[in-house]
Amino acid sequence: MAISATQKGIAEVRSDAAPPFADVVEIHKSMVFSIAWHFLRDRALSEELAQDVFLELHRHWAAMKSSEHIVFWLRKVTCNRCIDVVRRRKLRRETSLEESPEPAMLERVQDPLLSAYLQRMVASLPEKQRLLVVLRYQEGMEPEEIARMLNMNASTVKTQISRALELLRAKTAQRLKTQREAEA
Amino acid sequence: MSEFERQLVRALERREPPAGFTSRVLAAASQQPAPSRGQSWRWAFVLRAAPVMAALLVVAGGALYQNYERIERGEAAKQQLLLAVKIAGAKLYDAQQRVVSIGAIRGAGTEEEQ
Repeated sequence: MAISATQKGIAEVRSDAAPPFADVVEIHKSMVFSIAWHFLRDRALSEELAQDVFLELHRHWAAMKSSEHIVFWLRKVTCNRCIDVVRRRKLRRETSLEESPEPAMLERVQDPLLSAYLQRMVASLPEKQRLLVVLRYQEGMEPEEIARMLNMNASTVKTQISRALELLRAKTAQRLKTQREAEA
Repeated sequence: MSEFERQLVRALERREPPAGFTSRVLAAASQQPAPSRGQSWRWAFVLRAAPVMAALLVVAGGALYQNYERIERGEAAKQQLLLAVKIAGAKLYDAQQRVVSIGAIRGAGTEEEQ
């Protein structure tokens, strides 16, 4: 059976051999970059943030115990950095979904366009809800897992996610209705 | 998972960072000092040094306590000596007063005889 790069990473970390830092960057770069991208919606800033996260991992490399630990650490540090960036630079003016502007072009609510639309809607969520939605639906993490990682109550995580979903659903339904009316 | 949630999962699919990301990270990492193992060494050092430090603390504490006891004993002895001196002083004063009064009585008797 072929050994995955992650398993190889664990073996090398545990055997204390030359650290497979390059492998870890290669395996997890899309995870780190995507969390940042879906949170910040700024490609350059997301890349810079992802790079900083990996450089910090490099500095803390000796403390990494396993590949699970690395993934946990990367997600946690990326989330913290994302929140820091938003708070520090006031990158995006936080607006509610009701306030968020409709895209200029009236897009047809088809899958690819719906995806782009949903991405924008997710990006307009309040920062905590945005982070929870990204972790839940991009990373496929369970609410309990997210709660442990962000030091939150699991029920709070569930509530926040369901509120975010309600808002997103309402906005999408409204959009579908508007589109049908325009087509009629 | 509802259809809407599945759409959300599709919308939030992971995406790759710009080309050359890994090499840029590795180049920047190579500019940093080598990955530190200092943290674990520091812990190992702390764990090894802890019993020695504890023993040193016990010895130093014992020495300080002995010194404190010695000072306390000295202080008690000093107080006892002062008390003894006071008592002796009082006795000497009494004796002096008696001698003076006896002297005065004898002086008065001699004058009467004359």
